[in-house]
Amino acid sequence: MSEHHIAVTINGRLHQATVEGRQVLGDFLRVTAGLTGLHLGCEHGVCGACTIIVDGKAVRACLMLAAQADGTSITTVEGLAAPDGTLHPVQQALRDAHGLQCGFCTPGIVMTLAALMQAPAPATEETLLAAMSGHICRCTGYQGIRRAIRALTARPPGEPA
Amino acid sequence: MKPAPFDYVAPTTIDAACALLAEAGGGALVLAGGQTLMPLLALRMSQPFIVVDINRIDALKGVTRVEGGTRIGPVTRQNDIITDTILAEALPGLVTATQHVGHHQTRDRGTVGGSIAFGEPAAELPAAAVALGATIEARSIRGTRRIAADALYLGPYATALEPDELVTAIHFPDWPAGTITLFREVARRPGDFALVGLIGAFAVTGGRIARVGIAWFGMGPTPIRARQAEAALRGQPAAGLDARGVAALAVADTAPFDDHHATAEYRRTVGERIFSRALAEASVLF
Amino acid sequence: MNAPIGAGRFIGQRLPRTEDARLLTGRGLFTDDVVLAGMLHVAFVRSPIARGRIVSIDAIAAGGLPGVHAILTASDLAVLRIDMLNFFLAVPDIAIGPLASGRVAYVGDPVAMVIAADRYLAEDAAGLVAVEYAEEIPTVTISDAKRTGADPVHAGTESNEAAAMGDPEDDAIEAVLAAAPHLVSASFTHQRISQSPMEARGVVAARRGGELTVYISCQSPQLVARYLAQAFGLPPANIRVIAKDVGGSFGLKSIPWREEVAVIAAGMLLGCPLKWTEDRLENLTASNHAREQELTLRVGFDAEGRMLACHADYGINNGAYPHGADANIAVMMFLWAAYKMPQFSFLARGWYTNTPGLGAYRGPWAIETQVREVLLDMAARQIGIDPIELRRRNLITKADQPCTTPLGIVLEDITPAECLDKLLEAVDVAAFRAEQAAARAQGRHLGLGVAAYIEPTAGSTGIAVLATDVAQIRIEPTGRVTAILSTHSQGHGTQTTMAQVIAETLGVGFDAVSVFEDDSSRGGFGAGASGSRQAVAGGGAAIRASAILVDKVTRIAAHLLNANPAYVRIEDGMVHVAGVAEMTRSLREIAEIAYGEPDRLPPGMEPGLEAQYRYRPPPITFTSAAHACIVEVDTETGFVSIKRWVCAEDCGVMINPAVVEGQIAGGLAQAIGAVLLEDMAYDANGNPTTATYKDYLLPAISDVPDFEYIHASTRSKAEGGFRGVGEGGAIIGPPTLINAIADALSPFGARCLDTPLTPSRILDLIAGRTSAKRHEAAGPAAEKATMPPPPAPPAAPPSPAKAAVDGLWKMVLATPMGPQEMTGRFETDGETLRGRLDSAQGAQDFQGKVSGTHLKWEMKVTKPVSITLKYDIQIDGDKLTGKVKMGFFGTAKVTGVRA
Repeated sequence: MSEHHIAVTINGRLHQATVEGRQVLGDFLRVTAGLTGLHLGCEHGVCGACTIIVDGKAVRACLMLAAQADGTSITTVEGLAAPDGTLHPVQQALRDAHGLQCGFCTPGIVMTLAALMQAPAPATEETLLAAMSGHICRCTGYQGIRRAIRALTARPPGEPA
Repeated sequence: MKPAPFDYVAPTTIDAACALLAEAGGGALVLAGGQTLMPLLALRMSQPFIVVDINRIDALKGVTRVEGGTRIGPVTRQNDIITDTILAEALPGLVTATQHVGHHQTRDRGTVGGSIAFGEPAAELPAAAVALGATIEARSIRGTRRIAADALYLGPYATALEPDELVTAIHFPDWPAGTITLFREVARRPGDFALVGLIGAFAVTGGRIARVGIAWFGMGPTPIRARQAEAALRGQPAAGLDARGVAALAVADTAPFDDHHATAEYRRTVGERIFSRALAEASVLF
Repeated sequence: MNAPIGAGRFIGQRLPRTEDARLLTGRGLFTDDVVLAGMLHVAFVRSPIARGRIVSIDAIAAGGLPGVHAILTASDLAVLRIDMLNFFLAVPDIAIGPLASGRVAYVGDPVAMVIAADRYLAEDAAGLVAVEYAEEIPTVTISDAKRTGADPVHAGTESNEAAAMGDPEDDAIEAVLAAAPHLVSASFTHQRISQSPMEARGVVAARRGGELTVYISCQSPQLVARYLAQAFGLPPANIRVIAKDVGGSFGLKSIPWREEVAVIAAGMLLGCPLKWTEDRLENLTASNHAREQELTLRVGFDAEGRMLACHADYGINNGAYPHGADANIAVMMFLWAAYKMPQFSFLARGWYTNTPGLGAYRGPWAIETQVREVLLDMAARQIGIDPIELRRRNLITKADQPCTTPLGIVLEDITPAECLDKLLEAVDVAAFRAEQAAARAQGRHLGLGVAAYIEPTAGSTGIAVLATDVAQIRIEPTGRVTAILSTHSQGHGTQTTMAQVIAETLGVGFDAVSVFEDDSSRGGFGAGASGSRQAVAGGGAAIRASAILVDKVTRIAAHLLNANPAYVRIEDGMVHVAGVAEMTRSLREIAEIAYGEPDRLPPGMEPGLEAQYRYRPPPITFTSAAHACIVEVDTETGFVSIKRWVCAEDCGVMINPAVVEGQIAGGLAQAIGAVLLEDMAYDANGNPTTATYKDYLLPAISDVPDFEYIHASTRSKAEGGFRGVGEGGAIIGPPTLINAIADALSPFGARCLDTPLTPSRILDLIAGRTSAKRHEAAGPAAEKATMPPPPAPPAAPPSPAKAAVDGLWKMVLATPMGPQEMTGRFETDGETLRGRLDSAQGAQDFQGKVSGTHLKWEMKVTKPVSITLKYDIQIDGDKLTGKVKMGFFGTAKVTGVRA
């Protein structure tokens, strides 16, 4: 079994570690880097709870190997709010809209919406809802998530709430 | 659900990758986007000795115009296909098909080559490759060969690729200006594999259908080319098409099966309906 | 008390949730987030076959892998003498162990556990454990279970019947049905469901510091602690169960089950911390499931569509090891509870099979509303009455109450008819019918579905563990409020809603209240989230405990300020005396005195500001609702799209309407999943065919429409006026949607009897084809009809013999709440039988009749409700079998042996 030295920038901080070839990125982030905000809900790419931002793109942490993350820059849900605790607009919108209940799937949803809100193409209600097909929430019936998406796209992205 | 042990290698050149595959003697798997392979590894349904990650081979990425067609590097991400300006013009049908592959998050990582080489019978891109007449360029230390997409698929997840071969490009031929592409997919939820789907390209010149390619997905053990329907359409006047008759012929080539999500009967019935309707809707554009 | 509840500063407000800040920033604490020094990881070796004998287990190669610490089987755990318990915390009537012992009973049955340095290594080793099985033909479906009487799933049982109540036929009711102007009959099936909380099960167990600490994903740390204390025979004080954030449960995690108990046991044996996090493959295939029911109704109506009588025949697949062997009496209790049904009889039976055991799922009795409301629409079509009018003629209205249903439920304040009225103010049925006709003319098929129901919430009778909840509230010396409650959130938001209730009652700011419910060692017993009870039971306890503190603060302030207590008010954390502004003191000042200067308190008063109240809500608090939904069915593809959904719900006083609506919406999404998508399927060999989320389809955002809400808010009799709302959406959602689909498909004469209504099945219905499922059900039955019938029961001994009857008998009564052990003493005197039954509930004498070895007697009991028990017992040698008619609880089996 191969081992690999990797250097990954996570939430702006450089992490170096030696990982087994088979280690899944989600496990690396949760266990080695201690970023337990990332949740593994299905480990086969369907539920979306483990979604993170890798080099600006929303991807599943369960569908990448840790070794593949060498040299990348990763943002997890822990890295979104301002240091003073001010929530990211996506987090604030979900809170205002009662967009979560148990909160297990929520970090993945936050990351998808955050990735799309900062993408070069402007995020619209339609694009955000389409991207939500990649997330399963068992609690809310998606009502508050949809309200949050409407609130986020009702004003130009990037402008404070 | 954790992968079994394997050696991970990430070569940066095609030659290095081919050498690794040759050396592994069938014990290696190629990791492209990983959106299908990673679940199989996690479920231990796939237990390779070596995983050859081709994501660091820059030569396998990108879309370029070549003589008579478009060359797509296999490690081009699906979301990059959707936003590609060359493809928007040359292969709008491929772009539409790619929009239906998985979800935004899986398309950020998932690749064209990975999907085409894996050969899921209910997936969009293998059928698109068959319908649009793509050829797959495969390289090994033994050399390079080109395989027509409709000769690539042998059965569910079984392709004509040898274990030591790496897909190095997918070549899509140009279709004449004004080609109409139809894409229809019926899936349980957005992003799911198709219960039934089809992609068809129709080039009409001088009022006649000069060139046609139609392939089904979710309608049998492989993507299935609707050869009888293609033959019936080729050279025919585009006006006054018998959409129902063509659809019935197109379904005649399929071999759908019952599974948890739908019966074979459902797939045949709905396949014929969606094709017939799509053809009738499209024929006004011909 | 402060301002009346119901229109408060906090109660009734859509406050943002306290929980959300941590959950949105990745700072929650779920079980898998817990890491302890020296912690090892568990993976299970699971049976690949549905039924068979374990011939051998070879763990030598697996045990030799580096990083593997131990591999344990049932015999290793046996030294701990663990008593697995059912949902009622009673010992089940079949033997259930944490790991398979000698036999496997379903695919996924845990056979051995590997303990290794990490989960990867544990799974490596689990794959190397070689288990040899002698495979047997499994019992998979209810119809399998009914016919394989000669070879039951569980050794030592006579049949696969896990529980039974009621009677096959009642002559009086049959006569009414036979003579009814309209007889409407239908047989319905409901597929198996995976509860699928997004966080699967998980546990971390460590024996440290003189106590067993268990982090577990659950519905109540209190209940788990009590379960473990009983199961392991440990003093409760030595067990500490912690569950901070839980990623949904929906009934699945109501009690710790085999894997969690195995991990805790192994941790005790090995003396090191262990973690097991259930992965999705395990969760879908080896966790408890829900539903998988069939229900046949025959209902007689008079010429005007008024109901005359009904017989129901019900079956439920219990799997091999259910959370409680169950024929689901609640299905029968609530089937007609909201309707004027003069006469009703039923037969309800639960069956053991070689599939994962039945667990709870949001609205475990929901099929009653589904089948009733779908059948009412069928009846309306058959009789030729509008379905809404048919409901109006039969629903119990305010004017009909108080009344008692045929099964003995007292109704005082249900409002389904009033909810229906409110619903129809929002949904213009006539306009819809016009739109529907116009659409049909264009070949589009729209449908409107309406359904009504009542839901028992916060029941405090019959199930002992659900009777009461406790609130322990302190106003700290700092003036802040700490509340320790027996509620628990798996997404319910009780840290927010309970703080709203407490802040309102105490007269303090919402932010001044901190609610804790995550640690069994912090507070007293309660069942947490179960039976839609937290607002009612927890909220009631919180109000009463807060009221004690208000009273105490008032008395202290009045004493200190020499004021009349009637003029003392607490508002926004300040204590005021009406009309005397300079007398205002902060709560903190009062609290500092209460704790630190006891000499200044009224004479004899206990220092401090700490209160506790254990609240028992009314026996049942009913929530009512009527929903409507409009769909369009694409008859080319069989796809359903939901255009509109309106809920008119009466859940009493709402603590936080946003939380209420979140509960309704979540239940409705699960209803949509059950009707259109979800199906935990098994093949004929008992292999799961939906082992991943690629095949077990949960509703996505595009499957769930925007819901519209109308709140009726009739105060309940419970403290605070609250009614439960946790399960309702999952109960009323399915028939609302099915009725809409059936309405859309009415031109095709389609009857929607089986769920899920997949596109494939909808096209079958349109084409008038029998669905594949019904085909299957009919096929194998016919095929196996050639099997020899089960042996006839042995004939009763010919002659009466006093010696055969008299004496002491150990008896077990299979009640809906679990088996009840009794000791019976019989004494015959000619044809007269005298005796005494002794159980944990007490002892009672009786007198009855004996004919040979056939005994009959009646006795009245008052617990849990007042009913007459009619015993009918046959003695055969040293064994005793028979049944007890238990009033509206139906009939229960009795077995016994000579003591």
